[in-house]
Amino acid sequence: MLTPPPEEPPTTPPSNPHENTSLPIDITQTYNHLLHTDPLLTHPIAAIESLITLLSTSPAGTISETLALLSSATNTLKTTIPNPIPLSAGTDLFQRYIISTLQSRSSSHDHNARGGGKGKRNHYQGGVEDFRAIRAHLLANSRLFVQRAKEARGKIARVARKFVRDGSVVMTCGRSRVVAATLKAAAEEGVRFRVVYAEDSYSYPSSISAGTTGSKTTDVVGELRARGVPVAVIPFAGVATALGETDFVIVGAESVVENGGVVSGMGTYQMGLLAKSAGRPFYVGAESHKFVRVFPLDWGDLPVRRRGLDFRIEEKERRGVGEGEGEVDVDFTPPELITAIVTENGVQTPSAVSEELIKIWY
Amino acid sequence: MATPPDAGSRPAVAQGSNATEHPLENGVQHQHTASNSEQAPAVKGKAKDANGTENKKKTAEGSKDGKPSGKELKEKSKAEKVARRAQQKQAQQGQPVVDLGPEKQGDKDARKQSLAGPDSNFPKTQHKRTGSTSTGGQKPMPFRPAQAHAPPIKEEPKKENKNVALFDHLYGNPRRSTVAGASRDVHPAVLALGLQIRNYVICGSSARCVATLLAFKRVIESYITPPQTSLPRHLTTHLSSQIDYLVSCRPLSISMGNAIRWLKVKISEVDISVEEFRAKADLCNAIDNFITEKIIVADQVITRRAVEKIKDGDLILTYAKSSIVQQVLVEAYRKGKQFKVIVVDSRPLFEGKNLARALAELGLDVQYSLTHGISHVMKDATKVFLGAHAMMSDGRLYSRVGTALVAMTAKEANVPVIVCCESVKYTERVALDSFVHNEIAPPEELIIHGEKSSPLSRWLEVPNLQLLNLMYDLTPAEYITMVIDESGYLPPSSVPFMQRLSTNT
Repeated sequence: MLTPPPEEPPTTPPSNPHENTSLPIDITQTYNHLLHTDPLLTHPIAAIESLITLLSTSPAGTISETLALLSSATNTLKTTIPNPIPLSAGTDLFQRYIISTLQSRSSSHDHNARGGGKGKRNHYQGGVEDFRAIRAHLLANSRLFVQRAKEARGKIARVARKFVRDGSVVMTCGRSRVVAATLKAAAEEGVRFRVVYAEDSYSYPSSISAGTTGSKTTDVVGELRARGVPVAVIPFAGVATALGETDFVIVGAESVVENGGVVSGMGTYQMGLLAKSAGRPFYVGAESHKFVRVFPLDWGDLPVRRRGLDFRIEEKERRGVGEGEGEVDVDFTPPELITAIVTENGVQTPSAVSEELIKIWY
Repeated sequence: MATPPDAGSRPAVAQGSNATEHPLENGVQHQHTASNSEQAPAVKGKAKDANGTENKKKTAEGSKDGKPSGKELKEKSKAEKVARRAQQKQAQQGQPVVDLGPEKQGDKDARKQSLAGPDSNFPKTQHKRTGSTSTGGQKPMPFRPAQAHAPPIKEEPKKENKNVALFDHLYGNPRRSTVAGASRDVHPAVLALGLQIRNYVICGSSARCVATLLAFKRVIESYITPPQTSLPRHLTTHLSSQIDYLVSCRPLSISMGNAIRWLKVKISEVDISVEEFRAKADLCNAIDNFITEKIIVADQVITRRAVEKIKDGDLILTYAKSSIVQQVLVEAYRKGKQFKVIVVDSRPLFEGKNLARALAELGLDVQYSLTHGISHVMKDATKVFLGAHAMMSDGRLYSRVGTALVAMTAKEANVPVIVCCESVKYTERVALDSFVHNEIAPPEELIIHGEKSSPLSRWLEVPNLQLLNLMYDLTPAEYITMVIDESGYLPPSSVPFMQRLSTNT
């Protein structure tokens, strides 16, 4: 289950063909475009921003029309993007926001209407007007919303930086911008620490992360080295060995699921397992908008188009370019391997994620 | 004890020892005779006291007496009565009577206590507490020996305590097996229900909850408020007698407790001004809604969510029989999912047999095993589905005994454990182990019937053999991967959060 249908079902408006045909813009393209143009954007925020763009261009004037439009756009996004988990965090959040805003507005309006002795019809009209106001408000504030989401990363860096102390050796992997920000913040603060960076032996073609940064891995290493932080680059095969000289592990996440586990780049789970058995703390840095209402039991239960094991009996060339397009290389790190999740609201245990999500949904 | 008995009591003792016609003294003496020989050191200790002479006389007199005659016995019982009355009087005067009476402490001591003045009573009780630990000899302790005078434990063939000591607190009254002696207020529907629950005709947390609510609905329907009282006030007490009867048949389940608590709140909220028939109809409606909302619809929602977690090729392991797990498996089968089921079962209820039979009749591929094969069958399982009796507010699962074993084995084998549980089964209670709260079923259920030479059939006569038939155990939260309730998928750590949410709203 990705997103449970909202309690207020987006009742299909009278014009049923309206559903899928008339999306005013190509939502997938908008989404990808946003990710390409702004390398600092996270997937959930990109999804929210594309939905806001959609709303601003849509002619929908009533609540149910808008909800239907949103849900069809969300479904389009989820089906076209190979790993829909991160973006569904954004779309869910947006949907909840709209619904709860509408509910509170309409109830307050209802109250006013009753106080004024008005009839029900007035209430409906008021609802439409209200909704227009909400939409205007939403569009006006969309930049602010995105801005805040970006600031979250800085906040996490300020919190997580405290884990990095003089003399400590930090292990990380992947291309997490949160981790990069954290380590950079520590370096700029004058903390003398060293970094062990585990690198993929060959880079997975991953369409979801293709455009986010230019030449990914070396970026983090280069930036840290430029700030005078000694970095050792090791292959993933050397993680277990290197863990002996490491103080703690910090990684980023694409999304944080309901039980507190994280969906992250391939190799994170492995690192988590090794860190657990080596007795090293394993921290995850993630903005709270990456929390998503998905509860996978294990990797096989993830609602993504994942690459299965490729058993074959004849020799074959390594993956060619373009092969495996539309499949993602993410893995799932279960909550018991995670020491703490660092969010912009502070350091949380994995079990707190579910409570945060319940607070949003109920 | 240094405090001598006051002036009032000493003459009484002296007089008693000489004048045989004193009924009180007489009775005391006769009781003593039997234990006199063993109590020699005790008597010696007493002799140190100022009352020594009297005591000596007394013992001498006691040994003279042979078997108490009929008349003496009569006198003895009279004496006991007097002693008791004296003690009662003392108690009424507000003095703490720690001594539990002549039967326990030896008559003489009791009598002395009862006759002793109020000021001497306090130190005496204090002394008794230390008496057992102090080695004696430091102080003259006039009354201490009397403790050792405890009436001789008659060597009658004492019935061995067949309760397992660790669980002794859980043995209540034996379960009621007939309706005889039930309060006359108990409604026939409840009478029948109690016996059905007792005999496991109605078994399972949800089923018992629904059946109880339905029976209470009939109670409410046939209820007439007695004059000079009101429905919200009287109906709850009327229900209480029904509940007492149900408890005497079998302890209430958590879900029943939650439902009853809800119903009582509903009743207390009834407006007094509302006509009775309307109030009753409202209550019955509320009960129907409760059942629909909290059990039936909740089950449907849980089933839908749980079925989503069953994938083609799964081998689902389940333990005993849970109605909700059965629903899930049946629904998944109807949806055309390709999966197999392993039913693990245990004695003495063999609830899993029903489940295995039902699923096999449906056409599912079912494997049946008992708990001793658990580590073997777990190797192939891909998911474990469990039902719940209750979820504790620290995320632990309270369910049929054996569940913890299954969950632990699954955890060991890295198989996800999924618990399906309606929120009506959440409790705010916390349990750290299965010892403090549990239910003990009659141990006779463990005996295999139908076989003449069952080794346990004469267990009552085998010394030092006790049978333990626990109903539930507690599964730690770390063995549970996921809880599915009507609000969605939850990690067990969020159960208290949901519990608070569902009780507050």
